Amino acid sequence: MIDRLKDLWVHRELLYNLTVKELKVKYKRSVLGFLWSFMNPLIMLAVFSLVFSILVKNDAMNWFVVYLMSGLLPWLFFVNCLMQSVGTVVGNPGLVKKVYFPRETLPLAAIGANIFHFFMQMAVFFIFLLIIGWHFSIYLLFFPLVFLLEVTFTLGLCMFLSAANVYLRDVQHFVEVATMAWFWLTPIVYPIGMAMNALGEWFRLYLLNPMTNIIQLWQFIIYNPHYYAAKVYKFPDKYPAVNYLSFWGILGTSLLAVFLLVFGYYYFVRKERGFAEQI
Amino acid sequence: MAEYAVEIDEVSKMFKLYHENVKSLKEKVLFFRKRGYEEFWALKDVSVSVKPGETLGIIGANGSGKSTLLKCVTKILYPTSGKVVTNGSIAALLELGAGFQPDLTGRENVYLNASILGFSKKEVDKRFDEIVAFAELERFIDNHVRNYSSGMYIRLGFAIAINVDPDILIIDEVLAVGDEAFQRKCLERIEEIQESGKTIIFVTHNVEITKEICSYVVMLDHGSVVKEGRPREVVNYYHQVMETAEEGSERGDRRLEILGVALLNEAEEPTTVFHTGQPMKIRVAWRANEPVTDPVFGFSIDDYRGFTAYGTNTRLKGLDLGTLTGEGFVQFDLSSLPMLEGRYLVSAAIHSRDEQTIYHWLDRHVPFDMKSDVDDAGLLYVPTEIQVFR
Repeated sequence: MIDRLKDLWVHRELLYNLTVKELKVKYKRSVLGFLWSFMNPLIMLAVFSLVFSILVKNDAMNWFVVYLMSGLLPWLFFVNCLMQSVGTVVGNPGLVKKVYFPRETLPLAAIGANIFHFFMQMAVFFIFLLIIGWHFSIYLLFFPLVFLLEVTFTLGLCMFLSAANVYLRDVQHFVEVATMAWFWLTPIVYPIGMAMNALGEWFRLYLLNPMTNIIQLWQFIIYNPHYYAAKVYKFPDKYPAVNYLSFWGILGTSLLAVFLLVFGYYYFVRKERGFAEQI
Repeated sequence: MAEYAVEIDEVSKMFKLYHENVKSLKEKVLFFRKRGYEEFWALKDVSVSVKPGETLGIIGANGSGKSTLLKCVTKILYPTSGKVVTNGSIAALLELGAGFQPDLTGRENVYLNASILGFSKKEVDKRFDEIVAFAELERFIDNHVRNYSSGMYIRLGFAIAINVDPDILIIDEVLAVGDEAFQRKCLERIEEIQESGKTIIFVTHNVEITKEICSYVVMLDHGSVVKEGRPREVVNYYHQVMETAEEGSERGDRRLEILGVALLNEAEEPTTVFHTGQPMKIRVAWRANEPVTDPVFGFSIDDYRGFTAYGTNTRLKGLDLGTLTGEGFVQFDLSSLPMLEGRYLVSAAIHSRDEQTIYHWLDRHVPFDMKSDVDDAGLLYVPTEIQVFR
């Protein structure tokens, strides 16, 4: 596996080129081209602001749209990575059957392109926050760490799924359905307190979802619940209802992410030898 | 420097041919026990070593395992048993323009494709102009590749791989696609690469090319090495095998039947080897299964490519054979064979004067070999005197 990492390092330029290709190809032959990266979050912001300030009024939380976006953007990054990388090996038979190169560059390039989009979208989001005079939390300094955690978790999962998909094409379809369910099992469009109230004993199970922890971290550092939601959703055990983070939850998620990355990469490298025969 | 650039050591490759290609979970669960497959050995204990600077040619019929072997060398496939050791950077031309992105420009694709082959931007920067000039795409390099003609596509693909300067260049049957001028240019470039001491592995159906550029040739058949050695020997063997494999075609209504065709030397002995300048007698034995009036007997001598070196018939020679009954033979006396070394095939035919009715036609029926005492180049020997004036 060390050899494989070295090989990947030798091909780092390929990884870069493939990532750039993903970005270029995505917006080729469109008039606005690159601007779409910015349009996406802008339109989301506009629509959600409209909906949540006029149609669905939620008086319990200040700036619900910011809460929503701070969880939704990282979630979309995660889902787009999964959906786009899972088919990369199967989708490039011309390359896989005809040229040698470390095959992990294919899913990695898809993730690389999504990382770029994520930062573009985050930039737009933060400009919006600055304009509305957002009261940032000091925890925002943890941005790089939270991002690292999510990327680690995503990488491992993507490696595993894109390799498994070569042998079992159901994976691709499964991911589509599963992410949809997963989305609603993660506190993105609702505060976690609602789940806590509704689930009772089952809430412990709900907390096992690693994405719950990751998304909550994002909401914690961007939305700044101490300032914007301190007075609402108080529960008997004194936790703010828009955030239910625990040391053990974060540690467990981090360990799981690292384990997934190692396992996913190992699985990919082991299965890779048969790729050219299977697609 | 390592002793070998490429060392293929008892490599075998087995493919599982599944009866049903089970790819979805439902099928996998339902047919878990029943999944049957046949083993197909595409390669069986193949061992070949290539020293640095050598050019290895691999020839063989379709399905003989040539491409599988190359894919094992380039790590696209992994051998079932045995191992492949390579020393040096490899550029493989298994398919020209593999990985071209239609929506990127030629320029962008050059960099992308070179990095897929494992070469850095720096290396490409140095050679970019050379690549474009080689592909003859100066005017179009900033156009989208989707607008390229297929010729431009392959020219660019070839130009990239051949100009990035690998230690080992692997070429699979890709020369055949360009037009003749470009093929010539590619061969010249390959010769340059050879001169610079690089290793080349070359797979082709155009076996004559291997005679020109290879230092060593391996012939594969059904996954095993059946012959290896000097290009000329192996290629001749290849032709022999291919001829016996491909039956000379036969047609006609057989009212007048060819019983046999014999090639005789000057002593009237049947033989299959002739020397340049020697005479040859072609004897065509016939039997009339019913009386036939005014038939024409003819023969031709073709080389393995189907190129006819010579042919004639009784009509062209102004003969009228009248009505034939019973049996007999027609003998063509060729006073001197002008062909240089190579393998040739004799076809014999009997047809009506207007060629509307074919009585019996044996196409490429009898093979023979030409040997030559001279080393002159070309197909035919032309007696030449040289005078030097000064």
